Amino acid sequence: MEIEVLEKDDKNIRLLVRGVDTPFMNALRRNILAEVPCMAIDEVVIIENSSVLHDEIIAHRLGLIPLKTDLESYNLPEECSCKSEFGCNLCRVTLTLDREAKDGTVTVYSGELVSENPNITPVSDKIPIIKLAKGQKLRLEAYARLGKGKIHAKWQPVSMCAYKHMPQIKIDAKNCDACGRCVEICPKKVLAKNGDKIEIRDLLACTLCQDCVDVCPKEPPAIEVGWEKNTFIFNLESTGVLPPERILEEALKILDKNLEEFAKQIEVQKT
Amino acid sequence: MIIPVRCFTCGKLIGDKWEEFARRVKMGENAGDVLDSLGIKRYCCRRMLLSHVEIIDEVLRFYEETEKRREARGYYYRE
Repeated sequence: MEIEVLEKDDKNIRLLVRGVDTPFMNALRRNILAEVPCMAIDEVVIIENSSVLHDEIIAHRLGLIPLKTDLESYNLPEECSCKSEFGCNLCRVTLTLDREAKDGTVTVYSGELVSENPNITPVSDKIPIIKLAKGQKLRLEAYARLGKGKIHAKWQPVSMCAYKHMPQIKIDAKNCDACGRCVEICPKKVLAKNGDKIEIRDLLACTLCQDCVDVCPKEPPAIEVGWEKNTFIFNLESTGVLPPERILEEALKILDKNLEEFAKQIEVQKT
Repeated sequence: MIIPVRCFTCGKLIGDKWEEFARRVKMGENAGDVLDSLGIKRYCCRRMLLSHVEIIDEVLRFYEETEKRREARGYYYRE
């Protein structure tokens, strides 16, 4: 397996992976979506709410706020040594919110949530939770815990995680008369006309839609769009809870663990 | 009612981008360009902001009005 990083910033990563098959890429994708744990508010105790939104709606909004996650210091509640329904300091974080609109209408932002652990805070401070008119009050206590994407989408560490085949475009220079129709029709502007030749401008953007092949007036078409077997472009966009490379790392660790468990189960079945 | 925290379809955080989006569009900027500069690429996330109407502002006007009347009445009785 050969991995090349095409693009990377604090939330996105784009990889070119060579020498793996589709089942592996899909296992990796599904592990990232369903198995990598991250923090989210799970239970909310509403002490006072005289706002226009119902308690449930506020609790739901709070749940969807992505929280910066610290996987080293916290355990999954089902694996935690406390075995408690309510959780302990190792598997639960308490966040509180207390706000009253004293003069005029105010917007309550996620930045006003006070966390007991300064490392577990909302990814963004500017998410509106609610708007309060003068005299309205909101007081609540929220409990965040680690969870997995397969239980609820709020525990997915990514907002996008997808792979596609590496495109391969072949232009038959002898057959092609550079009419430029394929350049015009391409929705991703992959091709470019250079003098009396058609050139590939941005191969990675190709979506394998085959429009250029269909529009080619030559018979057989002078352009051919295919894909490289066992080469993939892998895109990942984190919600900000964990850095993208960390998500990949965790997913692989979990995949390894699950495969070991699977092998063990097969052994048990055999005996 | 109020801007959703995340995109319904993909789960990208969009709640924190609403106020800047609304302000800039009101200033006369092209909505598509604002979305591009906010880094919202997919059409599922773009429609979240484009099609949103902040109805909570309309609802809150009733409460603001009630509060004003209550204050006015208090003022009247004090006389």
